[in-house]
Amino acid sequence: MKYALYLGCTVQTEQYGYEASVRTTMPRLGVELVDMTGVSCCGFPPFSSVSELAWLYSSARNMAIAEGMGLPIFALCNGCHLSFVETKHKLEHSPELKAKMNEKLAREGLRYEGKAELIHIFELLHDVVGKDKITAAVSNPLEGLRFAAHPGCHAIRPSRIGRPDDPENPKKLDDLITWLGAEAADYPEKIDCCGSSLAAASGKTVLDIAGEKLKAVKRRGFDGLVTTCPFCFKVYDNKQRAIQATVGDRELEVPVFYYTQLLGLAIGVDQESLGLDLNQSPIDPVLEKIGGK
Amino acid sequence: MLIKKKSQKIVDKVNAEACDQCGKCPSSCPVTARVEGFNPRQIIAKVALGREVDLMKSQVIWTCTSCLKCKERCPEEISPYDIMLALRRIAIHLELPHPEGFDESAKVVAETGAVQQPQLVRTRNKERKDRKSMGLPPAEKPRDMAAYTETLRGILEEGEA
Amino acid sequence: MKPVLVIGGGIAGIQASLDLADRGTKVHLVERTPSIGGVMAQLDKTFPTMDCSICILAPKMIECYRHPNITIHTQSEVIGLEGNVGDFRIKVLEHPRSVDATKCTGCALCSEKCPVKKPSAFQVGLGQRKAIYLAFPQAVPLIATIDREACLWFTKGVCRTCEKVCTSKAVDYEQKENIVDLNVSSVIVATGFEQYDPKDIGEYGYGRYKNVLTALEFERLVCASGPTGGVLNRPSDGKVSHNIAFIQCVGSRTQTSGYSYCSASCCMYATKEAVLIKEHEPSSHVTIFYMDLKTFGKGFQGFVDRARSHWGVEYIRGRPGEIREDPVTKNLTILYENTEVGRVERLDADLVVLCTAAIPHRDNAKLATVLGIGQDEYGFFANPDPVASPVETDRPGIYSCGSCHGPRDIPESVAEASATAAKAAEDAARAEGVA
Repeated sequence: MKYALYLGCTVQTEQYGYEASVRTTMPRLGVELVDMTGVSCCGFPPFSSVSELAWLYSSARNMAIAEGMGLPIFALCNGCHLSFVETKHKLEHSPELKAKMNEKLAREGLRYEGKAELIHIFELLHDVVGKDKITAAVSNPLEGLRFAAHPGCHAIRPSRIGRPDDPENPKKLDDLITWLGAEAADYPEKIDCCGSSLAAASGKTVLDIAGEKLKAVKRRGFDGLVTTCPFCFKVYDNKQRAIQATVGDRELEVPVFYYTQLLGLAIGVDQESLGLDLNQSPIDPVLEKIGGK
Repeated sequence: MLIKKKSQKIVDKVNAEACDQCGKCPSSCPVTARVEGFNPRQIIAKVALGREVDLMKSQVIWTCTSCLKCKERCPEEISPYDIMLALRRIAIHLELPHPEGFDESAKVVAETGAVQQPQLVRTRNKERKDRKSMGLPPAEKPRDMAAYTETLRGILEEGEA
Repeated sequence: MKPVLVIGGGIAGIQASLDLADRGTKVHLVERTPSIGGVMAQLDKTFPTMDCSICILAPKMIECYRHPNITIHTQSEVIGLEGNVGDFRIKVLEHPRSVDATKCTGCALCSEKCPVKKPSAFQVGLGQRKAIYLAFPQAVPLIATIDREACLWFTKGVCRTCEKVCTSKAVDYEQKENIVDLNVSSVIVATGFEQYDPKDIGEYGYGRYKNVLTALEFERLVCASGPTGGVLNRPSDGKVSHNIAFIQCVGSRTQTSGYSYCSASCCMYATKEAVLIKEHEPSSHVTIFYMDLKTFGKGFQGFVDRARSHWGVEYIRGRPGEIREDPVTKNLTILYENTEVGRVERLDADLVVLCTAAIPHRDNAKLATVLGIGQDEYGFFANPDPVASPVETDRPGIYSCGSCHGPRDIPESVAEASATAAKAAEDAARAEGVA
C-alpha cells in the first residue's frame, strides 16, 4: 500500500498536528507514504470563486505529479480531495477542457491523463487498512471515552460525484473511532457544516455556525469532537476561544482531535509525535484519561 | 450590457426554470437560518427571472459556506452553490464589489504556490513550533515557479471565457 | 361465450369482474396474493367521503366470490399467453396453499397455534402473522395458507402443529402447484401498484428513525383493524401521538431519488389521514407540508377546505430539507421553509408520515413480457393513446385499468375498470359472432 501524500496548503503551512500524526501512524498500519515534490495549492479556496480554469489547473497539476510518480494520491484535507475528484470528473467529461489544460501544463513540463487514483483518509483507513488491522494494532484502547464524529461536508457531499461516505448517514468515522476502543454515537448535528468557507465573507457567521456544533457536542455528552479536515479542525480547535466569545459562553469547552491523533494514542505513539501540544482546545483531561506516553 | 451578456451564459446553462420553489435548499442551509436576506431558493428564483445581475451586485452570492446540502438535496438537480460560484467569477472579473480576501488569496497562491508561508504555531504551553522543530520535511512548492506563476497569471487575466 | 381474464384482484379487478359477470360474461380473476382486495382493503377510510374502506369493499369481494360467473384463482399468476383478441390461450400457475379449500372453514385456530411469526404484509410490516395464516379478517377466500419459506415443516421437517389442531383436517402439506389452461376472448390487467421505499431519501431518516412512517404504514396504525387497534401508539415507545406531520411528494416530482411524476392521490390521502387523526383526538396538532394541493376530483377541494377550517389541519407550503431525531426521546424535528413567507423554521413532532410515490409494481416487467404488452418509461403498463383510448394497451384485446398504468385514486380506478369491462364485453361478443 503505497501512496503519494498530498498535504494541501493548510496542513503544510500550519496544521502540523495532522501531518505529524499521519506520518507516525500510517506506516505502522502498513501504509507507505511517499512525499510529492513540486506540489502547490489544490486551488479550491483561492480560485473556485475567481476563475474555474485557474482552479482546475491547480488541481490538475498536482494530480499530474502523482501520475508521474505512478502512485494514487492521498489527500489529507476533505476540501483538497473533493477538488481533485471534481477536477477529474470535469476533465473526463470534456476532452476540450482536458486538451486546454494539458496545453498549459506543458509549460511546467507536466501532463495530465486522468489516470491518478484518488483516495480519502476514510477509504484508506476504513476500507483499505480495515477493521482487523486497526483493532490488532490497538495496544491502548480508548475505553470509557465517547467521541462525536465530524466527517465534514466535503467528505460526504455531493454524493452524485462519488464521496467516501454516505451523505445523510455517514458511518465510517464512527467505525474508525470504535475500532480504537472508544464509543461513537449518532447525533442530529453530525453532518452540519463547520462554516469555514464563509471566512472571507463573514467571519462572525463562521463562528456562529461552528458554535452550534460545539454546543451540540457538549450538550449530548461527548468527550470530544473528531475530524479529519484541517479547515474544520482550525475552526473548532484553533478558534474555539473566538467561538466562545461570539456565542457568549466561556464554558463552551470541547476537546477537538484529528482522528489520526487518537489513532496514534491508541496504537502507542507518544503524544508529542502526534502534535497534540498544538491542539488549542482543552484536550488535557481526555489525554489523562487515555494515559500513555 | 456586458455584465448581463456574461451572466446570461450561466443562466442559459443552468436550468433555473426547473425549480419548483419547493424550499428544500433554504431549510437545509446553515446560512439561511442565520443571515437575513440569504436564501438559495430566492436566489434561484431571481436567476430564473433573469435578475442575476442584481444578485451579483449584492453581497448575497458571497455568503455561501459551500456545505453543498442544497446541491445534495435538490430534487431537480439544481445547485444554488454552483450558480453562486459562477456568478462570483463573473462579478470578480468585472470588478463588482466583493470581499477583499479573494483577490489577495489568488495573488499569493499564483506567486508562491500556497495560500500562505509555513507558519510558526503556538502550542498550548505557549511554545513556538515550525515544520523543522516538528521534524517535518520542508514545505513544497512548484519546481518551475516562474512557469507556474506565469501560467496562473495568464489564466486569471483571461478571465472567464 | 368465451370468458375474460382479469389479472389482479384489487378494486379495479373486482369492479371489472363484477361488471362483466353481471351481464352474463364469465370471468377468471387471477390474484397473486392469498386474498383479493388489494390496497383498498388496507385503507381505513376513503376520501373524500370518509367511507370505511373495507365496509364498501368487502361486499364487492363477497359478490365476486359468490358470483356464478366468476372463478377466483388466488396465489396465482399468469405465466403464458398466446393468440390474439378473441382467442387468447392462457396458462395460469396456481401456487399451493397447503390447505384444502373445500375443508377449511377459516376459523384460524391453526394460525393461533403456529409457533412461527413473520411480518404481516397486510399490516405493512407493523404487525405479524404466522407461517400458516389468513391474510386479514375479511379475506376472500377466507382460507388459510402456509408460507412454505417460513413453515418449520417445509424448512426443517418438524412441527406440523397446524395439522394437529385443525378440526376440519384441512391441512395438506402434499398439495402441489397446478397449471390451469384457459381460452379467453380478452384480458384486463388490473395489477395495481407499489409504494416507493423512501430509505434512499436519507435526509428523512426512514428506516433509521423509528417514528418516521410511510403513509400506508400510518394507515394501518390509525385503522381499527391495525396492529394497535387504531390507537396512535408510535413505534419507538408506544406513546400516543398527538403531534403529527405529513410530508408530501416523497419520491414523487423529483429527478433524483424517485420518480418525476405526481402520484395523484397523496394530497387527498394525507388530508384524509389528517382528518382521521383529528377525529381520534380533536386537540391533536397536524401539519401537512406540501408543494401544491392537488384537489382535482369531485368533492376534493371542499374536503381540503373543511380539513383546514373545521378540523384545523395546518398546511404549510414547503418541502422540508431534513428530519432530525432526538437520540434520547426519539422525537422528530422537521427543518423546513415556509415558502409563502420565506421563513426558515423548525417543527417538533411525535410522528412523521412520508407520503410516498405510487410506483409501478416490481413484477410489471415480467408480466409485460408474458402478455406481450409495453411499459412506459417508468415501468407502468403503456397506453399508446392515453387521451382517446386511456384503457387500451398496445396489444388488441388487452386492456389496463387502475394504478397498474399510472397513479390513480379509487374513483378513477373503478371508472377505468368499468371501461375495460365494456371493451372486453365487446370483444367477447365479437368473438362469439354476436356483435
